[in-house]
Amino acid sequence: MMDLTWYLLGVLTGISALMLRYLAARMQLTLVTWGGLLAGIGALLFCIAWAVGAYLEGVPRAAAMGLLMFVLGGIVILTVTARLIAKQNRDQQGGAS
Amino acid sequence: MAEEKKNSVEVSEDEVMAPASEPGGVDEGRRNLLKLGIAGAGVAAATAGGVVIAKKLEGIPHDETYIPIREDYKPFDGRSLMQAFASSKQLIAKYPERVKAWEREVRKRDSKWDVVGGNAEFRKGKMSDVPGFTQLDYALSHGAWHTQSKFHGPAYGTNVGLFSWAQSDVAKNKWKFKSRLEASDTIKSAAKLYHAARCGIAPHDPRWDYHPLYDPVTEKEYSWEKDFPFKPKSVIVLLSEMDYVAMAAAPTVLADATSGQGYTDMANQAGSMAKFLRGLGYQAVAAGNDLGISTAYAVAAGLGELARAGWVIAPELGPRIRISKVYTDFDFVEYDNPREYGVTSFCENCKRCAVACPAKAITLDDKRTFEPVYEGAEDPDYTWNNNIGVFQWHSDSKKCWQYWCESGSSCAACIAACPYNKPDFWHHRFIDAQNVIAPGWVHSAMREFDILFGYGDINNPQKIKDFYKSGRKL
Ligand code: SF4
Ligand code: SF4
Repeated sequence: MMDLTWYLLGVLTGISALMLRYLAARMQLTLVTWGGLLAGIGALLFCIAWAVGAYLEGVPRAAAMGLLMFVLGGIVILTVTARLIAKQNRDQQGGAS
Repeated sequence: MAEEKKNSVEVSEDEVMAPASEPGGVDEGRRNLLKLGIAGAGVAAATAGGVVIAKKLEGIPHDETYIPIREDYKPFDGRSLMQAFASSKQLIAKYPERVKAWEREVRKRDSKWDVVGGNAEFRKGKMSDVPGFTQLDYALSHGAWHTQSKFHGPAYGTNVGLFSWAQSDVAKNKWKFKSRLEASDTIKSAAKLYHAARCGIAPHDPRWDYHPLYDPVTEKEYSWEKDFPFKPKSVIVLLSEMDYVAMAAAPTVLADATSGQGYTDMANQAGSMAKFLRGLGYQAVAAGNDLGISTAYAVAAGLGELARAGWVIAPELGPRIRISKVYTDFDFVEYDNPREYGVTSFCENCKRCAVACPAKAITLDDKRTFEPVYEGAEDPDYTWNNNIGVFQWHSDSKKCWQYWCESGSSCAACIAACPYNKPDFWHHRFIDAQNVIAPGWVHSAMREFDILFGYGDINNPQKIKDFYKSGRKL
């Protein structure tokens, strides 16, 4: 089961990398937003691995706590980063026109 | 016009440089270079951090002074081993002042527990309808102890069964190894074959031997010089792992069952290793809790670090281990070094074992000391069982023994509660990796998270049910 999880996480990491490339080609990304995107996606992937591991070892509470902490953390980071990217691109467009 | 054309440089549209401030301009190029530089620096820092963590997880090597001892330190007297003393009629009769001091402290706790009758009480057990103490649980435990009891005798016995000192089967031809590394590799590979979880080799160190040796079963005293069959040069230390799910049911008889299986494994593994060395033409004696301090030898062999509760914490296995030893005159080996794994600094901030201990036998002091500091420790007749002069956390194992006798199990709540007691899953190894570089306040936080995430809770009847289902897929 854990082996399958690692495989799926590999696939998800690949998809995330493609999405980041797509985003980088269309939006202006700064170091901070790059950091935010990587940290946010990392937290979500980490959370999946943590939850499955904890569930498999028979400690569902650890799985639930992991989901709560890392998913929330990941979502907060990604939301803030998304707003930052949107703002920076808006400003740039405003400056250019 | 022609002149003008001549002097001008023809530049294609593609080659036109963008203004410096526009994307793709000179500044942008520099910015991209800077980004790459920062990303490169990040990768380099992460790699360096990874190397530091890997080194720390491997353990920082030390020399034989790693366990600090005071100048007046004397090797531990085998007659002062708590369980050996408690089970020996002769020692109890010989040292009435110890019994008196012990009883005084017991009465202070408003207990009527009988120090002298304690051993018999423990042997009887406390079978009842309480989950974890039923006929089923005791039968399981007796099964686990069976091989050990049948082929060795009590856990603290000396020169008996598989731990016998007989050397009649030493082969005449001495097997020669090409190198020290080959010899160590061979010994450790044999340990793996005998199902040891870890193996380390330390030089023999008389500081960690019992002087004199004492067998409470036969009530015999032995001397290293006169009675032991040879002069030991090396001590091979073996760790056997106890069952995580059974241990999680502490402090019930299920934890005693996995301890019993640990003792059976100790006798099997050390007995086999000693027999192997004798077959190679070298003298060897297997030992469990006898001959010398197992924890000190395990540290000397680099297998783990001494923890607050008095036992050794081994990387990845935590405290859920039993230690056996093989004393031998074979010394053409590569010795292991004591190693620092960050356990001591974690223990300074954790104290979870001390809080979990139903007998309050484990000290809550932040720092280690050379002498015990628990209640009653000012009386030397009460601290006879402590290894005074060694810098460590000194527990009051007499309180622990009282709890064992009164509860009818060998407890192990401290092991079950310890944050290092985890099964082999990636996320625990991840936490281990961050623990070795984290400062003290993070260790305190990790203990709290451990509790919050549901690890190490004791007295949980669900854990008993979980154990009896844990073999379903076997
Ligand atoms: S075995 Fe139980 S009583 Fe003994 S020190 Fe550990 S927690 Fe305390
Ligand atoms: S419970 Fe905490 S203090 Fe006790 S031995 Fe384990 S890590 Fe150390």
